[in-house]
Amino acid sequence: MANKMNIRNLAVPMQMPSHMEINGNQEVIVDGCSGVLEYDIDVVRIKTGKLIVRFSGRNLVIKCLTADSLVVTGFLTGIEFSM
Amino acid sequence: MVSLRLTRWLMGYVRFSVIGGSPERFLNHCARSGINLWDIRGGANCGACVAAGRYRELRPCARHANAKLKVGGRYGLSFATKGIRKRRGLVVGTLVFIAVLYLLSARLWSIEVKGNTTIPTGQIEAELKELGVVPGTLKSKIEPQILQQKLMLKFTQIGWLSVNTHGCTAEVQLKEKIDRPQIIAQDNQKIYNIKAAQTGQILSMEVYTGTAMVKEGDAVVKGQLLISGVVEDDEGKSTLRGASGKIIASTARTLTTEVERKRRVSGPTGQVVTRRSLNLFGVRVPLSLVEKPIGDYKTEGIHTDLKLMSSVLPISVYEENWSEQQTVDVTLTKEQALVEAKKQMAQKQKEELGDAKIVSMNPSEQIDGSKLLYRELVKCEENIAQESEIIIK
Repeated sequence: MANKMNIRNLAVPMQMPSHMEINGNQEVIVDGCSGVLEYDIDVVRIKTGKLIVRFSGRNLVIKCLTADSLVVTGFLTGIEFSM
Repeated sequence: MVSLRLTRWLMGYVRFSVIGGSPERFLNHCARSGINLWDIRGGANCGACVAAGRYRELRPCARHANAKLKVGGRYGLSFATKGIRKRRGLVVGTLVFIAVLYLLSARLWSIEVKGNTTIPTGQIEAELKELGVVPGTLKSKIEPQILQQKLMLKFTQIGWLSVNTHGCTAEVQLKEKIDRPQIIAQDNQKIYNIKAAQTGQILSMEVYTGTAMVKEGDAVVKGQLLISGVVEDDEGKSTLRGASGKIIASTARTLTTEVERKRRVSGPTGQVVTRRSLNLFGVRVPLSLVEKPIGDYKTEGIHTDLKLMSSVLPISVYEENWSEQQTVDVTLTKEQALVEAKKQMAQKQKEELGDAKIVSMNPSEQIDGSKLLYRELVKCEENIAQESEIIIK
């Protein structure tokens, strides 16, 4: 039982680093997103690996959401990173 | 983007709103379950769109997030046709329409001939008909290359021809040949004299080649030698040449025409029978219930093709006008006969005098039984020079 390992821990180094593409202040395409933490029309907070990214702005909409990516559109005013 | 929207519409989708619970948790659960959501709205009116077939799969996710789902709207082809699908007539009608459209679009419904100037369109269409190209022919049976060759062989005056099919129209585009001008070989070997073509008095002479045998003011008779082809040089040697020159003489001619006053004239009685028919996809549908009249009738037909945006449609209207004719014996008055005689005389003058200048005319008429004889004594000035070949053996 002591030799048992969490298989998820093995998979962590294999994960692709998150990749973010920002088109002006209108659209952000995030690859490698592991979940939505907060979603409102003026703030979207997402988890990307060890980082938490906070998009703030006006009329924010998640245009598309899949298991590891999402597209945020709207009038972006700020991006914050935190651990 | 348009194709994505169209695909979503064709597949059908549902717009729903998430009520209560944690919308973020619901969205994460959906994403991990592999359910694709789009147009996700946040805030108080949280909601999204999902493919119609996957809406049921959202329920466990909503349960996990402690939220409830409410359908806001159903969109797509399957929802738009929901009411219609129960009406079999409409469905059958649509299927029949598609089938008819498919069957009709496989055929040729109009033929357009372009670029012809001297060859009548009807003649080309008749030849195409002989070659099996008529409205209603299957497009797959048309072989443009062979058609082009056959038409080119039939009409030798065509320089270039192309047969193209655009939709249900066959377009025959052609260009006629421009005949090269005939090159008249100058034959210096022939020897001519110039003789008088008419009897008259010479007014002016222009001798280009040869020896003048007459002078201005001389009276000449028809066939008299005017310019000789024999030319004598200063040393007394004679050479033979083709004489040429312009001899203007004053001539007089008598032209006569004859008009028969008693005649049988066929004219319309005023009774006209009109028959119309509709040509629909090559099938003639009569629009009038009038039979072909029996008797002495003159027929005129007008074929009108229907056009839409400059392309000929396979629909045409044919109108026949049958005008009843009556033959009556008519005797022309002297004035009527004279008018006709003058017309004939004008034509005769054009044919016989050509470009001669008419100086004076002295007309006279005479009635001989049922005929009117109209004479004109015409004095004119014309070129009477006529070439006459000297044959040396």
